[in-house]
Amino acid sequence: MRNWIYGVAAASLIVGMLQAGPAEAFERVEGRKVVVFGGRQAIPVLDPHVRYDWSTRMMQQAVYDALVKYEGNPAEIKPWLAERWETSEDGKTWTFHLTGNAKFHNGDPVDAEAIRYSFERGLKLNKGVAWMLKDFLTPENIEVVDARTIRFKLNSPYSAFLSFLPWWYVVNPKEVKANEVDGDYGQKWLTDHAAGSGPFKLKRWEPNVLYEVEAVADYWKGWPQREANRPGGVIYRIIREPAAQKASLQRGEADIVEGLTPDDYVQMARQRGVTIQDYPGMTTFSIKFNTQQGPTADKNLRKAIAHALDYDGLVQIYNGAAKLQTSPFPDAIRGHISVPSVPRKDLAKAKEFLAKSQHPQGGVTLEYYHVAGLEEARRIGLLLLDNLAPLNIKVDLRPEQWPNMVAKGAKVETSPAMTSVFVTPISTDPDAVAYQYHPNSHGQYFAMSFYNNRDVTAKIDTARRTSDWNERAKLYAEIQTQIVEDQPEVFGMLQNRRWAHRDYLKGFVFSPVRFTGEVDLYPLWIDAK
Amino acid sequence: MTSADLPATAPEIPSFRERHASTIRQWRLYTHLFAGSFSSMLGLALVVLFLILAIFGPVLAPYPEDTTGAVNLSQRLLSPSLAHPFGTDEMGADILSRIIVGARTSLWIGLIITGVGAGIGVPLGIIAGYHGGFTRAVIMRVTDLFLSVPGLALALTIVAALGPGITNCVIALSLVWWPGYVRLVESKTLSVKEELYVESARALGASTPWILRRHILPNCLTPIIVKASMDMGMAILSAASLGFIGLGAKPPLPEWGSMISVARTYMPDWWWYSLFPGLAIFLTVLGFNLLGDGLRDILDPRSRSR
Amino acid sequence: MVLFTLRKVAVLIGTMLGLAALTFIITNVAPGDPARLVAGPDATNDMVETIRREYGLDRPLIEQFLIYMGDLLTGDLGRSIVSTRSVMEELARYVPATLELVLVAMTLGILIGVPFGMLSAVYKDRFIDQVTRILSISGVALPAFWFGILLQLFFAVRLELLPVSGRLPLTALAPEPITHLLLVDTLLRGDFETFREALSHIILPAIVLSFPCLASILRVNRAEMIEVLQSDYIVAARAHGIDSRRIVMLYALKNALLPTIAMIGLRFGWMLGSTVLVETVFDWPGIGLYAVSSALASDFKPVVGVTLVIGFLFMITNMLVDLAYAWIDPRLRSAR
Repeated sequence: MRNWIYGVAAASLIVGMLQAGPAEAFERVEGRKVVVFGGRQAIPVLDPHVRYDWSTRMMQQAVYDALVKYEGNPAEIKPWLAERWETSEDGKTWTFHLTGNAKFHNGDPVDAEAIRYSFERGLKLNKGVAWMLKDFLTPENIEVVDARTIRFKLNSPYSAFLSFLPWWYVVNPKEVKANEVDGDYGQKWLTDHAAGSGPFKLKRWEPNVLYEVEAVADYWKGWPQREANRPGGVIYRIIREPAAQKASLQRGEADIVEGLTPDDYVQMARQRGVTIQDYPGMTTFSIKFNTQQGPTADKNLRKAIAHALDYDGLVQIYNGAAKLQTSPFPDAIRGHISVPSVPRKDLAKAKEFLAKSQHPQGGVTLEYYHVAGLEEARRIGLLLLDNLAPLNIKVDLRPEQWPNMVAKGAKVETSPAMTSVFVTPISTDPDAVAYQYHPNSHGQYFAMSFYNNRDVTAKIDTARRTSDWNERAKLYAEIQTQIVEDQPEVFGMLQNRRWAHRDYLKGFVFSPVRFTGEVDLYPLWIDAK
Repeated sequence: MTSADLPATAPEIPSFRERHASTIRQWRLYTHLFAGSFSSMLGLALVVLFLILAIFGPVLAPYPEDTTGAVNLSQRLLSPSLAHPFGTDEMGADILSRIIVGARTSLWIGLIITGVGAGIGVPLGIIAGYHGGFTRAVIMRVTDLFLSVPGLALALTIVAALGPGITNCVIALSLVWWPGYVRLVESKTLSVKEELYVESARALGASTPWILRRHILPNCLTPIIVKASMDMGMAILSAASLGFIGLGAKPPLPEWGSMISVARTYMPDWWWYSLFPGLAIFLTVLGFNLLGDGLRDILDPRSRSR
Repeated sequence: MVLFTLRKVAVLIGTMLGLAALTFIITNVAPGDPARLVAGPDATNDMVETIRREYGLDRPLIEQFLIYMGDLLTGDLGRSIVSTRSVMEELARYVPATLELVLVAMTLGILIGVPFGMLSAVYKDRFIDQVTRILSISGVALPAFWFGILLQLFFAVRLELLPVSGRLPLTALAPEPITHLLLVDTLLRGDFETFREALSHIILPAIVLSFPCLASILRVNRAEMIEVLQSDYIVAARAHGIDSRRIVMLYALKNALLPTIAMIGLRFGWMLGSTVLVETVFDWPGIGLYAVSSALASDFKPVVGVTLVIGFLFMITNMLVDLAYAWIDPRLRSAR
């Protein structure tokens, strides 16, 4: 009997010991509050010239600066390391004048050589951001005029050049070179180290767990939230389960989270002390048809499917936090027009198109590929399956890992009949979207439809080399109308970008060119005792 | 068979009942022992319930169309009610219906994995145990290789390589399931082979297939049945685990593990969504394990005293 | 004894090589394209090619295999294409977390399983035995991932008694590593605050992981105890009027412990396998989570690496169990 008493005593002792004290509302470092961001995605490689995705770029933006920066909604290009710039008549030469006071975290000045080296590094490594400029710029054509002036000579005029520069972050050549191994341009070192000039510097890097950055007290550009409010730093913590994310926000363990389910956002909005940020996004959801092979090579069949889909259902899946696409271009893209003939649910029309197709009675089974684990894509697949039943078209839902799906979509022979794809344009320049419909993009995941319309291709080529905006706008209007007519995909919706944060988190600024989930950490601060 | 069916010219031939008197007595004892154990009967009841659901699922399900991908967005995530005793999911489908029809998926998974596992493992085990020598060495080395890693870890690797989907899950789990049977049957065969009656049968010139069929296989049967019963449950659980990681059944096929995989993002506010599929897995696996445990108690004399 | 050990080691090395070959082949049968994944969504084909070249993925499969096996002999497990780091380096980071979790779970399993097994044996076929039996089989039947979520919701979300996930609170710094096991290190460094935090983080995943193991330990212990209790010498001891509690404690338990140890060895490997589920649910930064996230990204070098580590640890444990057996029972030495 005595043993039992001991047991109970020990058990209560353990429980008492484990009972966490009242949850400390804010993480603090040296008297300053630390913003805690709970995200689902890891950051395997920080190197700004090797990788980018939303979580990676959020951290890159925190520790690095670029010549210019996107800010605001609608996104505007703001001078950053470059205080001003000019373009030559022919649109081929760009000259940037650097601000004199920018310095790297180790105190080195950010000079023209650092810019040149960073662009050379990005182009030579041929990874990550390289695709944006590699067709127009070679490392030899970047010229250091003087310590504060740098000149780019493009191979041909490229109207979207400036729109890519915010993603070309500048590294400190001296630090990188000091850590080079076998001429790797410091890749191994920059994986989990940084050599930047940004508002934050790296503090803790625990892969798969958390990444902590510390605010640079004397950041060369100053802090927008005033010195007294400046946070001590930011912790990006990986919380993979949405339920855990939600719980940590409720308990104040995280100050801001992203990637909750649409239903969770609705619910969190009702919670006291939680604010939901909800903005129209730039990420399109579309179902790409293989326009070259199989039953979907038949335009009428494609149109039949496009008219059978319950578009209201698409929005309902997001609990209303989505907007239907009215054109292949997202609304925030410059030159976007609403194409009147974009399909909406109309079963009679769908049957008409089906009757004109090679499968007038339906009776086909089409594969629908989506990224395994991507909830919304799966649900839209189920909706499609339900909606196509009246046309006697069966849908075979195929969840697939992203790399395998992309590998399938890289060749016209293996590209599935239908693939659901989310695409976020890298800039607000129309070329960023239009070029997805250019045959040169075939092989990329956003070109799985292998769309090829000579007329459209020619117009895309002309438009990207034209500097006059009015001419370009006209061309892009024609391009959008023609793509809608050809129906290489079901034009779906633009899902809203959403974050849930404690209401004491201030300074949140939305900018549509950032990726889903990505937040500019620089202006954030915590307004509480 | 009744006595009327027997040829009238052979009254001296003992009746079925007489011929198998000892077997019948033995089975009576088994039944008695089995029925006397509460846990065994509970297991049997759970398994029978599961089999009924699996066989008659689409008939029993209140909303059979919900199991093949019907979408009712106006009825999303309803809490349990009379119309939907287990609530509805994020597409407005009735969770009870999906669980009922999901039993069939699970039964199929369990049967194939166990069947393929035993189908590969038993012959290999008998060959290894009976032939010995080099053949045995090769078979047992390969078996040990597979047994050196926990099955779930290896299966995860295989499914990840093949891509998600229930078929790939079943393939992967079947591939890691057979070595257990080889081990079991091999050791049993080894011990039976040395028995006097097998030795004498061999001495009398009995052929190898005859010995295998008459002596070795029947002796291995008991442990195989017990293991297979346990494995049904464990195979279902493993497949559900792969489904949970996101490598399981593709929609709209109802599968319990995949249901939880989706449902966990709806915790805790929509608790019914993950609670009921989880309970279904738990009770099914529990049923097969209790049944297997009960069978072992009565069929395996060594453990009967335990 | 030395010869016995040497032979075991030789088998171990052989099995490891076989295992490496097996998993390498398995992971290369399907046409995944991890290079495209890491090259980024907008990468052009020649950029993907750059990465393929860098990781040797452009070479014929047989050549990749030979290179991999060759590197393996020098202890190099290749590089993860997602994180660009060496798999060995990453495993060194993640293995201690998993080991700690498994060891705590194992301890829990033994601490609960052995006494309840004894209890069940002593009161065989009585009510407590029936209850224990159903409970122990339930332990095996519980889907770990589901049970984990339920515990998480109850203890962390509803009661706010324990943390939801992770290994340490955000700003708590792990102590200077000695053993890399947080619970041990914090105690050795005298950092009781962090120890408490680490303990409160490990408790839920450890309970979930320990359940099936607890069940098997309980059942083996019960079975062996029953056998020993019915054996001649115990019956004789009882006849001589030796106090029954001392009999149970001293004689029976001692004899029942051997098979229990064997079961613990077996279950150890099984638990390593289950970490892929438990670590996913609890965001536990160990090899299970590493394996799952790598597998989902078709990044197979880490997956093969984790498989090898799990296999290695599993075989080592079984070897230790065998050795313990041989040491306790010398008859077994000659038998093998």
